[in-house]
Amino acid sequence: MNEYLIRKPLRSDLPFLADAVIAAERGISDKCNYSTLFNLSIEEVKELIIKMFEEEVDGCEFSLSSYLVTEYNKEPVAAFGAWIECLDGTMPSSILKSNLINYTFKKESVEFLKTKMDIVKELVAEREPLSLQFEYLYVSESHRGKSLAHDLINKHEENAKIIYPSLKKGQFQLFGNNTRIINLFGKHGYRVVKNYKSTHSEILNYLPYNEKLIMEKEFQD
Amino acid sequence: MEENAVVNKLEQVFKKVFKNESLTINRMMSANDIDEWNSLNHMILVAEVEKYFSIKFKLKDLNKMHNVGDMIDIIISKL
Repeated sequence: MNEYLIRKPLRSDLPFLADAVIAAERGISDKCNYSTLFNLSIEEVKELIIKMFEEEVDGCEFSLSSYLVTEYNKEPVAAFGAWIECLDGTMPSSILKSNLINYTFKKESVEFLKTKMDIVKELVAEREPLSLQFEYLYVSESHRGKSLAHDLINKHEENAKIIYPSLKKGQFQLFGNNTRIINLFGKHGYRVVKNYKSTHSEILNYLPYNEKLIMEKEFQD
Repeated sequence: MEENAVVNKLEQVFKKVFKNESLTINRMMSANDIDEWNSLNHMILVAEVEKYFSIKFKLKDLNKMHNVGDMIDIIISKL
């Protein structure tokens, strides 16, 4: 009988991880910000995401080392990223991600982003140092309803406490219309602690929603 | 280009990106010191620095820039 196996990702998983990032970014909408804010097709975004992963930078959402993958019948069917922000004095993940984008994307794409800054700036949320940061959860449609996401959250929390025993909290940023994921994290003890709302009339042309939430859980000693 | 000239030119870039004509920079300054220095503005800052100085940073250069002083040193090394 085939079973689900949680493991670290391999380089051969990169196309799946790229699809996972794009699907997670879209949430319940059709808007992927790497496409809309950088004026790129989804195919171009996928190639660039793979290139960013291939740089093997640790400590952000484009680090292979941040991910766990669930395998079924030797194929990846779910993925979730998590890392401890600024562990051992590393740079903030937001800067690492920005550097990867600057290095990987074409200049014209970053120039295009410049023209959209005013639209999205209200939804930029920074991450708390030494907290467990989750990002980009994805479960293939045919494998949903099997607690794969729950298992990935549990595994990440378990691993993080081994790496950093003083870990105090976990956080997850998501758009406010993603009620399924809000409920999922709610079942793990995460609560909404902050929200960022955009008042810009064009926000929904570029992002999945006009509100971003931070959900948080404090870990017991 | 001498360090003073680099600092003066870099300060102009910072003023433009962060839309603050009274902003001054120093070697110890980092993202913690400017409220608007978030991930979006960092991307724009790096792109503008590359454009102003006609240089292209390697990824390892970018990930070594913990403060403005590091940025100045790396810019000088590329001129």
